[in-house]
Amino acid sequence: MPLQDLLFNLGIMPLRAIAFQSLLLMVAISLEALVLRQRMRLGYQTSMQYAASLNLLATSLGWVMFLIAESMLPPPLRSQIISVVLFNRFYPNGWVDMLPVLTVVSAMGVFFATYWVKLQGLIWLMVLLERAPVTAATESESRHQRYEMARRGKAAQRQDYPSRTLAVLEANALSFTAILILLLLHQGAITL
Amino acid sequence: MVAFIRRTLESLVNFLLPASYFAWQTVIYMSLFSWLMSLLARALGTTSFTIGVMATLSWIMLALGIGWGLEANRIRPFGIPIAPWVAGAILCLFMFGSWGGEWLQPALTAWPLVSFGVVAVPTLISWDFRPKRPAPSVRQQLVLLFLLSLLISSWFQFYFRIQAWIQDYPSLVTDNFDQSAFVYRLPGQSTQLSAGVTHLSMAETIMREQIDGKPWSSVERWLLNEQGQRQTLQREVQRRMANQPSLENDFWQVDFQPFTSGDGYDIKIWAIWSGPSAEATGYHLEKSCSLMPVTQGARYDTSTDMEAQPFASTRWANLSCQLDTPRQAGHPARYTNRQS
Repeated sequence: MPLQDLLFNLGIMPLRAIAFQSLLLMVAISLEALVLRQRMRLGYQTSMQYAASLNLLATSLGWVMFLIAESMLPPPLRSQIISVVLFNRFYPNGWVDMLPVLTVVSAMGVFFATYWVKLQGLIWLMVLLERAPVTAATESESRHQRYEMARRGKAAQRQDYPSRTLAVLEANALSFTAILILLLLHQGAITL
Repeated sequence: MVAFIRRTLESLVNFLLPASYFAWQTVIYMSLFSWLMSLLARALGTTSFTIGVMATLSWIMLALGIGWGLEANRIRPFGIPIAPWVAGAILCLFMFGSWGGEWLQPALTAWPLVSFGVVAVPTLISWDFRPKRPAPSVRQQLVLLFLLSLLISSWFQFYFRIQAWIQDYPSLVTDNFDQSAFVYRLPGQSTQLSAGVTHLSMAETIMREQIDGKPWSSVERWLLNEQGQRQTLQREVQRRMANQPSLENDFWQVDFQPFTSGDGYDIKIWAIWSGPSAEATGYHLEKSCSLMPVTQGARYDTSTDMEAQPFASTRWANLSCQLDTPRQAGHPARYTNRQS
């Protein structure tokens, strides 16, 4: 039967990965848009577009990095990745004691790499769209901030960069936290 | 009736012969013409370059024409403009389909990016091939579209990567993916036999060569050196499996354990999987055999160095194995001597 043959040839499809990634991307984009809108004084639509561009950029680059790294890993580590992807668990082999440490270290590495990619992406995006960085209105700053600025004598040469950097950092931290919580909940729901 | 036919004819003519020359039908006709010219060139035996240029032009015209036609007739299922996707698919078919062999993977991977190109090129390059500067809002849309097509292309790549894993480790397909957060097996797929079955039947063959049809006393002696026989069996299976090299051979280990049962033995042969699996403790395949003494004369191997004419009291070993190899979770319980 041709349909059976087609299904058989299609094999195992990463449909769950696509569904989960789309969901997590939507969560991350809406949260980051919220932060960017407040921190950088952007409009609703602009902040959504920026957040979507940054997150899609980070995700696509992440996929490319993963696909390259996966093909270069030694076979024992590679089979651990296969185990996680197909069965959602590590399996006992020589690496199993190091894997929790490796996971945490690489997750932290991914966080900072994502932050850097998003910051660079935002800078390039604003250059591409010919948008002058919007300086935060002075009235909105708290007394404390103004005092800090005056104390350091930087009021005259104040730039937009700290606000942009901080905005991306905060947005990234927020979306990572949300995704981590969702992943833990999902893991808990599977194992219970 | 006549009016109906006339109306149908008129609409057909309108469909085939548009009012203006600047229409998608023109491009399709040019594609057809180009294709016919390439056929003609082939018939006349011109250089392959000429044929290639004609065929290439024909494909590009076809992609453009169909894309234009879909867009002009507002064919948008679920509100999605599919014209660039269809045009991109035709271009990918043309670019990679002529490779032959493994063309599906590069074609599918490139498809989203080519479709993005179909959308982007008209906004970035004007009709006289000069670069255009689109408005910032268009640029933002293009950036989003490009990143989205990159993501979809990564998904296709990931799919092909999973297929490569399964080619390297074929026994993974027989497992159960309900726990996975990444993959899903479409229902209706039949599951194949695990490669462990090959290891098991190989072990059975080797064991048969060693003890089946041999005198019972020598089989008893063979069983005394159980640990040694285990190692011999493992080494022999690995040697014979080297004919079918596969990455997953390292994940399989054969083992066996005799259990006394009546006059003879129950022998369990196991293929133990030490690779990734859905069960936390791994799994093994089990083949149950029974090794029994038979007293009916010299039915088996008469060319041994024993006496040519066996006595009636000489007993011969008979090894019979079941066909099914049930899969069981965990490591086999080797040292619990089960009396059955």
